[in-house]
Parts: sequence; structure tokens; C-alpha cells
Amino acid sequence: MFSGWNWVAHGLYVILNICSLEVLGGLVQSCGHIIPESPVLALGSNFTALCILNESCLDFGNIYANQIIWKIKNRVVPKEQYREINRTVSSVTFNDTSSLASPLTCNILADGQIEQNIYGITVTVGLPPEKPRNLSCIVNQLSKLTNPMTCTWNPGRHTFLDTHFRLKYRWPQEDFPDCIPKDVNNSCTIADVQFFVNMEIWVEAANALGKAESDPLVLDPIEIVKPLSPHNLSVNSGILPTVLKLSWENRISAAVMKLKFNIRYRITGDTNWMQVPPEDTASPRTSFSVQGLRPYTEYVFSIRCMKEDGVGYWSDWSEEKTGVTTEDKPSKGPPIWRIIDASHSRASWTVHLMWKALEPFEANGVILQYEVTVRAKSSLSSPLEKYNVSTTNLTLKLPNGTYEVTVIAHNRAGASPPSVLLIPASNSKAPVKNVRTLPKDGKLWVGWTAPNSYVLKYVIEWCLMSNSSECITEWQNEPGNVQGTYLKGDIKPFKCYLITVYPLYADGQGSGQSVKAYLQQDRPSKGPTVQTKKVGKAEAVLTWNHLTVDEQNGFIRSYTIFYKTIDGNETAVTVDPSKTEYTLSSLTSDTLYTVRMMAYTDEGGRSGPDFTFTTQKFGKGEIEAIVVPVCLAFLLIVLLGVLFCFNKRDLIKKHIWPIVPDPSKSNIAQWSPQVPAKHNFSSKDQMYPEGSFTDVSVVEIEADDKKSFSEQDLKPFDLLKKEKSTSEGHSSGIGGSSCMSSPRQSVSDSDEGETTQNTSSTVQYSTVVLNGYRDQTPVQVFSRSESTQPLLDSEERSEDHTGGGDSTTQRQQYFKQKGGQDETSTDRACFERTKQITPANEGDLVGFAQLQISGQSSQPLGLGLEKSTQEAALSDVLQTSTEGQTVRPETVEENPPNPLSSDEMPKSYLPQTVRQGGYMPQ
Amino acid sequence: MAAADSPSAALRRRDLCSRGIRLAGKMRSDVIDLLDTYVEQQGLDASASVAAVEGVPAAAAERWDEQTGPQRLLENLAAYRAFRALLAQMLEEQREQLGEADAAVGRALAAILLQVSAFAYHLEELLRLESRGVPSEEGAAPPPPPHLSLFERKLRGLGVLRELAQWAVRSARDLRQLAKPSPGSGAAPSPAESP
Repeated sequence: MFSGWNWVAHGLYVILNICSLEVLGGLVQSCGHIIPESPVLALGSNFTALCILNESCLDFGNIYANQIIWKIKNRVVPKEQYREINRTVSSVTFNDTSSLASPLTCNILADGQIEQNIYGITVTVGLPPEKPRNLSCIVNQLSKLTNPMTCTWNPGRHTFLDTHFRLKYRWPQEDFPDCIPKDVNNSCTIADVQFFVNMEIWVEAANALGKAESDPLVLDPIEIVKPLSPHNLSVNSGILPTVLKLSWENRISAAVMKLKFNIRYRITGDTNWMQVPPEDTASPRTSFSVQGLRPYTEYVFSIRCMKEDGVGYWSDWSEEKTGVTTEDKPSKGPPIWRIIDASHSRASWTVHLMWKALEPFEANGVILQYEVTVRAKSSLSSPLEKYNVSTTNLTLKLPNGTYEVTVIAHNRAGASPPSVLLIPASNSKAPVKNVRTLPKDGKLWVGWTAPNSYVLKYVIEWCLMSNSSECITEWQNEPGNVQGTYLKGDIKPFKCYLITVYPLYADGQGSGQSVKAYLQQDRPSKGPTVQTKKVGKAEAVLTWNHLTVDEQNGFIRSYTIFYKTIDGNETAVTVDPSKTEYTLSSLTSDTLYTVRMMAYTDEGGRSGPDFTFTTQKFGKGEIEAIVVPVCLAFLLIVLLGVLFCFNKRDLIKKHIWPIVPDPSKSNIAQWSPQVPAKHNFSSKDQMYPEGSFTDVSVVEIEADDKKSFSEQDLKPFDLLKKEKSTSEGHSSGIGGSSCMSSPRQSVSDSDEGETTQNTSSTVQYSTVVLNGYRDQTPVQVFSRSESTQPLLDSEERSEDHTGGGDSTTQRQQYFKQKGGQDETSTDRACFERTKQITPANEGDLVGFAQLQISGQSSQPLGLGLEKSTQEAALSDVLQTSTEGQTVRPETVEENPPNPLSSDEMPKSYLPQTVRQGGYMPQ
Repeated sequence: MAAADSPSAALRRRDLCSRGIRLAGKMRSDVIDLLDTYVEQQGLDASASVAAVEGVPAAAAERWDEQTGPQRLLENLAAYRAFRALLAQMLEEQREQLGEADAAVGRALAAILLQVSAFAYHLEELLRLESRGVPSEEGAAPPPPPHLSLFERKLRGLGVLRELAQWAVRSARDLRQLAKPSPGSGAAPSPAESP
């Protein structure tokens, strides 16, 4: 602790000593200094500095050279670079000054702890100047007596130091003051120089590290003069229309410099300069006549000069002056063409003559008027017609024929050569061939193959094809020796031009050959709008309109149809551009398709709007293929049915619409069982011998069983019932029972009946052949009646009675008569049971159809009618019975009839009645 | 003349003569221009006749065509040295009189002075090529200018310029004569060759 305080106290003492020394020595006195003071050092060189301590500091501060520390800025220089020369001098050495920076300070480390600055210097590092190079001078003449000379040079590398450049010049016998550049280090201007004395010129560059001089330039300033351009240029037209005379003043004395000149000129508005041959202006002068100019053309002139021998520099071009040449007569006649309108009359033409205004270089002045001459070639005696017009067209109405038209342009100087156009009666000469076009350099080139004949000239017509505007014809002439030219006009890109080439001969004209062309093509501005014309099951007919010429923007090379289903891939079909319809095939039926169409030019395509359609479910003719055969089959069936019915009409008629004798015309015939031979039923007998009709079945069925029959089974009977009921009014009840269909002939008023039956007989008979039922002996009963009176009614009435009796007994009887064609039922019950017995008679449809049924329970309405009819019939029966024909209703017993009884009366014809389901022979 | 025999010396002499001729021409042109300006500036009459000025060598020479080349060169050199001193004096007087107010005349005078100096250099070089010693200027120095009035100084200036213009013409002729293949033949130049 105590030693620490001693250390601090010692340090303070040293500092106080140093300070006191400084104060004693003066305000700026220090303990040492550095040599050299503020050096300027070359970059890359080595450098050694010395720090020299004052002796006084040694005495009072106990500081020595070995305590010196060198610093660059605040960075301590490594001690390896130090060298203690003696106790008061320390040196530091830098091998490369590029590592130096300011300030370089000399410091002392007092008592090894406190660092104290002794002295510092500023070090400047730079480069010596390089030798200036590329010294060149030019004397820019400012006025007649002022010729400043400007010299420029390359100052060389940057020196990092303040470097001064001086342009030095002298005559051999006289020095001149240096030219010191201002603000720059690479050029200087000497205010005035004298010519014709060689001058030595050089540049001196100097800075703290040295000086350098350029190589001297020895020259006569007259050799590097850029003179002022000639001034006061004037242009005057001469006598000749192709000459203009230029005059000017030179601004450098001819005594000083002899000049040569360049003269350039151009037509006003043109950008290309032409130049007078330099050899024509290689001598001193102040005027020159420029020849070979166009008449009546404004020219712009400019001139420059330089030393005659070519040593030095060209002056700037002088100000431009214009001059106009005088007029000359037109050099050629105006190009002429015509449009012939023959639509109004076949005998005459309307000829629109048109010619182009001459180009300025052809007109050679202001065209005052055109003289048009028209002469008919057909008749030499025809007068020459002249027209003086100031416009460039003339419309004439001429008779058909060949004409020669000449046009002459007039200006103040004279008339042009005539332009001649032959208007032949017809374009019968050879046309050009192979007309083609080619866009080239932004212009449209038209080429053709010349005809074999000599062509005087060609006329190329063209017009822009557009829907919105009419075709305005433009044209141009070309000489007969060319086979191609550029169209001279405002040819627009993306527009279609119709170009026609006509060859003109000395004695006629060839027909025009046309071609369409585009200067530049583009994609169509829109795509075709496609729609369906017809849609089928697997195909669709697409139709579209061609794009208008304004929309095409180029030649339509192809169409592409894209179609797809909603979830399917798109299919593309390329279509010839000439078509407006296409059929898509192999489509899926009943499917929604989206179709669009693209039109392509050489530059690309553009798509039209989408269109959707749905294919049909059935193809064309499919429905017809189904319906027609069905209909035909139906018709065939119907026809067959009709034919069948027609063939069987008698049979059908007999069973469905049997001929019912008119009761009003009936009478009771006298007949007797003893003379059966009188009756004409032998055929029947032969057909059905008595022995063959043996089966009469009686089926007894409980009433409840009726329910087991379905309605379906009963329908045919219903139908028959209806027919029965409707025909019943006319029925006279052939021989009696409705259950008995009689094969016998009956008396009828019907014609049909007359044709089919023997109507002469009034004796009706019926045969009932009964089979036994359930092995019971059948009962054969023959009943006969001579009358067509409605015995049926009496039978039916008896049936009614029987039915009424049966109803109480709940029993029904059914009679089935198997007699080939006849079936007879005597009771309504039999009708109700028909179905049940039908299976037994399936093979005998005729018999089934011939069932005559007396409906009751199933036909309430018919029942009423039947009842009333039956009641009436009953009374009739009663009447007939009183006349000797006994009809006695009896109840048929359940027991089968005695076979013997049937045998006993095989040939008897007795009226019979059925009662209570039975059948009782009488 | 020995030096003149070498091709380079002949070329050098031709070059010096050529440029000397053109310098004389320019000097004359400039002097003529300056004369107009000087007369106007000094308020003198352009037609005023000026008597021979003391110290100004006369351009006119008797038997000019009989002079030898070195003789011509020496006369020219003497004249132009005199003009150089006179013009320097004029320039000094001009500056004293007008200060920097009329810098154009001063610049023109300075330019002519330079041309005179340059021409004198040409003559000295030609004399050296002729292997003739160049006389020192001290011997040819003009006498100190007398004290003259302002008007007299103006007239003297006018006289100096007019005589310089004359000398420019003569010098051109002398140099053409020297430039000929046979220097000192004494053939008078044709009028067409005059500047």
C-alpha cells in the first residue's frame, strides 16, 4: 500500500518536471523534435526519421532515447523499426512509405508507465510527375488577327501531390511566357501565335518530388490552323436551270494561308448531302458555280476550307444557304392510265382518263395545265379532240373502239414530251404470267413473267380490299423491260391488296393478271364463329362463315376445329380454309360437346367463341327402324286377322252374329215326325250321324264353386252374354233353348242366311245329342219345331222358371252338348260354369264360340230385358202348346235318364224343355 | 556558301525563304490593317504625308537588283532590327498613352512586333546558312529616341508602319530572289510573283 503511493507520487513528479521544463523553455519548447520536418516522400521508397531529445529533458525528466515510442496516428510502430542512435536520438525506418500516415509522432514512456508525446510531423506521400505525353496543338482561328493555339497532352498518372503543369514555347531567339492551365492539367491555350516561325512547344510537370518535361513539339503554327469557315455565303441562280453560283468571303488572309474548299449541297428536305468534287475547289477562291442541278429545285449549300496543301485542319461547315434553280420544261410526260366503264351502254364507254402529277424532278417547274388529245384509231378521218385541263383526270364518253390518248404537261418553260396511251377495243393481247409478290424492306415487291411479245410498258393496279370501304384503285407505270417493281404508295401492313398487272403493247393491251398480297401478315383479329347445322347421334355438322377480309389480317391457311366433352381431352381437326362446313364424326351420343374454331394465317391463329351442343340419344332412323317394323308387324297381324276373319266370316258371323229369323215373318209349319224325310237335313244327318252324338254331360256344381272361377275366365262369356242380349230381341229362339246351338237351318229374312241356308224350309228342327255324365247313360233328345217362333222364349222362360227353382235349391246344372259345332245350355248356371268345362272342349273353339248363353246373375240389365222377353216368349210358347206342340216344362231329375228311353226315341223330333237343370225329352 | 551546298542546307534555306516570304506577306497585311486602325485611333489623316523618320531605314533601294544575297539579308536585318526597336517603343508609348483602354491596337502592335522579330530571326538564320556572320544588335541599335511631342510620336508611328509595309514588300522580293537556284544572280522577280 505504501509502495503504491510512492509510485504515483513519482509519476506526478516526472510530469511536473517535464511541464516545468517546458514552461522554462518557452511556450512551444518541447523535449525534442523529429528530423525531417514534414517530409514529402515518394510512394514506395524507404524513409527514416530521427527523434532527438533535448538535453534538458534528460536532466530533469530522466527520459532517454530508449524510452521513445514511435506512432503513426495512434498505432505504435513496431520496435523492430527503432534504432537508438545514442541516449538522445532514436530513429525509425520504414521500408515502404505506403504504410506511412500522418501524423508520425515521437513519444516517451515516462517511468515505463505514462506515455507522453514529444513531437510529431506530417508525412506526405506521393509520386513524382510522369512525363507528359501525346502533346498536340491546334490553332483555332477566332478572327482575322486572332489565332489562339490550344495544346493538349496526357498528364500521366495521379501523383497525389500538388503538381503544376506549364506549357512552354519559344522561338529560337525568343522565349515566351509559359502558358499555365487553369482548372485543368491537360491543356492550355496560348492567346495568340505568330505564323511562319517554327515554335518549340513542350509541357513541364512539377511537384515536390520532381519535375518532368514532355518531348518538345517543333512546328510552325500555320501548319496546325483550323481556320474560320467562309462566311457571307450567297447562292444565286444562273442563266441555266441546272446551275447555281455560290459566293463567300474567307476570314483568313490569303497572305497568311491559301485555302482550298469543300462545297456540299442537298435538295431541301433531303438528308443526303452531295459534294462538289474536291479537285474542283482545291484552289483559293471566293465563288463557285455548282452545275448539274435539277431545274426548279431548292438546294441547300454549305462550304468549308482548310490550308491549300492539306496541312492543318478543316474548318467547320459554314452556315447553310438555300437557292432555287430556274424552271425548265418538263422532262417527261405524265404517266397515264384509264378506267373504262362499259356498264351503261354496250355501244359506248365511259372512259376515266387519269394521269399522275409529275414528280418535281420531272415537272421542272410549276405545271400550269395538261393538254389531252384523243384520237380514234379506227377512222383516220375522225377529228382530233383536245382538252386543256388543270386537274389530273378527265372523263370522256366515247363510242366503242380503239383510241389513242396523249397527255402533255405544260409549265412556264415549255411542254413535256407527250405521254401516249392506247385504249384498244379489247384486251386481246398476251397477258403476263406468274404474278407474284414479296414483302421486302417494308415495301411490297410485285414480280411477273413477261409475255413473249415486246411490251411497251406495264401498268400495275392495286387496291386495298376492305369490307368497310370501296376498292380505290391506285396504279403505277413501269417500263417494258422490267419484270418486277415495288409498289409506290402507302402500303399498309395486315391489309389485303389486290394487285393486277397489265402489259401494254404498241398495238394493244393484254388482260390483267391479279394476285392478292399482304405487306405483312398478322394473326386474325378474331376467330370464326362456329355453330352446328345438324346434330346427330354420333356426328355433328358444323358450319361457320369465312372471316371478313378486314378480320383476316393475312391469308387464312387453315382452320382448326377443337372439340371436347366436358371432361374429355380436346381433339383438334384441321380443315381446309375453303370450307365452311365440317362434319364431326365418331361422337358419343347424348353428350355435351364444346367446340371452337381457330383460323390460322402464317403468323398464327386466333380462336373463335366456344359453342356447345349435345348429340342426340338416337340416331337418324333408329326410331323409325323400331316404330315402322312394329307398326308393320301390327298391321300385318291385323291384316292377317282381318283376312282370317274374312275367310272365316261365315263361321264368325254364324257364331257371333247369327242370322236370326225375323219373327214377324215366321209361321208354324206343318210337320210331322213321321215324315222327317221331308225335311232337308240330310246333310246334317250325314255329317253327324245320330250315333256320333252321344255325349251330353251334365255337370252339377255347387253354387259356391262359382267363386272359384275368376272373372277372367268369365269374360268371354260376358261378351257372349252381351251379344246375346243385344241379339235376343231379334231372336226367335231357333228351335228353343238358348243353350242349344242348332245346326239346323232356320227361316230367316236375312239375305246371308238365305245364301247359306235353305230358306225354303219352314220346318226347323234341332238335334240335341247328349252324352252321359259320369258314366251315366246319355239322353238323346230330338226336338222339332216347324216354326221359327221364339220357342227359345218359351225355353228361356222355362229356364227362368228352372233357375228360379234352382236358386232355392242352391244347385246348378250345367249341360254341355258335345255335338261338334253345337253346345247348348239350358240354364244360366251353365253359363256361369262355362269356364269350368272349357278345358274339356279346348279343341273345339267353334263350339265354344257358338255358345248361346242366357245370362242372368252377371248381367242385371240384360236380365231385365231377358225377363220381359222371356215372359213374352212364355206366353208364345203356351200358345204354341195349345196348337198341338207340347212343350212341357219338366224338372230334370238328378238321376241320369234312362238309356233305354233315349234308345226308344232316336228318330223322334220333339219339342223339349229343360227344367231345373235337367233336360227332358218330350 | 559552303554550308549552302549541302542538300539539307539548301532545303533549310528554301524553307526559310518560303516562310519568310509568307511572313512578310502576313506582316504587310497586318500592318496595312493596323495602319487603318492606327490612323483612326490616333486621329490622323490617312492621306497625311510623313517625312522620313529618323532611324527608320528606307525600303527603297537603288540598284536593288544588283544586290547580292548576303547584302540583301544584311540590309533587311538591319531594317527589321530597327523596326523591332521602333515598334517596341511605339508599343510602350501606346501603353503609356492609352493604358489598356485600346487593347486591339496594342495587341496588333505586339503581333507585328513579334512578326518583325520572327522575320529578323529568319534573316539571321539565312545569314548563317550563307556562312556569314550575324552582326551584333548593339552596333545596329537605333539612336535613343528624341524627345518628341505626342503628335510627333503619332506621326512617327504612322511613318514606321508605312515604312514597315514597304519593307514587307521588299523583303518578300528579296527572299524570292534568294530562293532562286542561283542566289545573288540579281534577276528581278516578275510582278506576278510579288506578294
